[in-house]
Amino acid sequence: MLAFVTVGSTRFDALVHAATTTDVLKALKSKGFTRLIIQCGNSDVAKDNVEEQGIQIEAWRFKPTLQDTFNDASLVISHAGSGTILDVLRIDKWLIVVPNPTLLDNHQEELAESLSKLGHLKATTVSGLADTIAAFDPATIVPFPKYDGTKFRAIIDEELGF
Amino acid sequence: MVVTILFALLGLITATILRLFFVLQRSRPRPPAALNAKRTLGVFLGSGGHTSEALSLISALDFTRFTTRKYYVSEGDHLSISKAKAFEESKFPNSRNFECIVVPRARRVHQSIVSTPPTALRSLFACIKLMTMSPLLGASTVPDVLILNGPGTCLILCLAVYVSKFLGLSAPRLVYVESFARVRSLSLTGKLLRPLVDRFLIQWPEAAGRSKKAEYYGILV
Repeated sequence: MLAFVTVGSTRFDALVHAATTTDVLKALKSKGFTRLIIQCGNSDVAKDNVEEQGIQIEAWRFKPTLQDTFNDASLVISHAGSGTILDVLRIDKWLIVVPNPTLLDNHQEELAESLSKLGHLKATTVSGLADTIAAFDPATIVPFPKYDGTKFRAIIDEELGF
Repeated sequence: MVVTILFALLGLITATILRLFFVLQRSRPRPPAALNAKRTLGVFLGSGGHTSEALSLISALDFTRFTTRKYYVSEGDHLSISKAKAFEESKFPNSRNFECIVVPRARRVHQSIVSTPPTALRSLFACIKLMTMSPLLGASTVPDVLILNGPGTCLILCLAVYVSKFLGLSAPRLVYVESFARVRSLSLTGKLLRPLVDRFLIQWPEAAGRSKKAEYYGILV
């Protein structure tokens, strides 16, 4: 089973660092994970191409699309960017988001909190990551609504007299 | 002589205010279109998450009606151009009925407030040329609807549309969709555009406070 940590196009040193700590690796192992891929963006990763706590760790900075890795992963751990959240929830993957506290005037926290209240994902902090993984119960996750373009189409049709 | 000029000026100002007042009134949707009526779709791709949301929004539209598509892209945003091309390729392989139109940015990321006005003005002139001048000269057409999702540059596009409206020229219907990322408050672009657009859609019920204009139909992207 693969866990995928992603920070998108941003820099999020604390999350990238936390991903390879013993606590997080142990928590992943306890959930049956054997592989961890870290897309570290503009942050530097401490461990790459090693096996620790029974988890094979691999890291890279960017790829043109993350969609393939999202598809392969069972669990995605991400910064709370809205694009990543939509991409992951739309393919029904388990998602843990960690809003970046160093960003000023960002609305990641609001979005993460609201989606977490609706049960679509778990929101946590860097220090709470290991515990959140260990406590992750897929049975409590509410499936995210599928894309429905009919509402927007109806508005545009109305505006243009279709 | 002076009195005549003063009266002329006063008349001009009154006419301008009356015209502005008229233009700012909420206009009605287009009357029912013929079953085979062909329309042009305009969409602003604001880069990053804005581009993804905009493409997701338009993906379910009736493309048998929108025989021409115009994608407005910020200067230097090559990624959005390739995303628009990929989107077109997936919808209409080998179609040539679309164009990507580059718009100078209203404000670059991290640009200081002081240096913003000249940049924004340059952007406004370019947008007026696009939306008002060149259609007037028959060099291009105006889309029938313009879909906006942010950020700032789409305000400039919107202002250019108002120049056309002021002059009584054809102008697109303006539809703004606030980003899915805005849960409890509007973006600055959203706040500025709200009085100007024909439809203002939000994706979280509390994003626009008690605004009567904002419409909520759930997540749209």
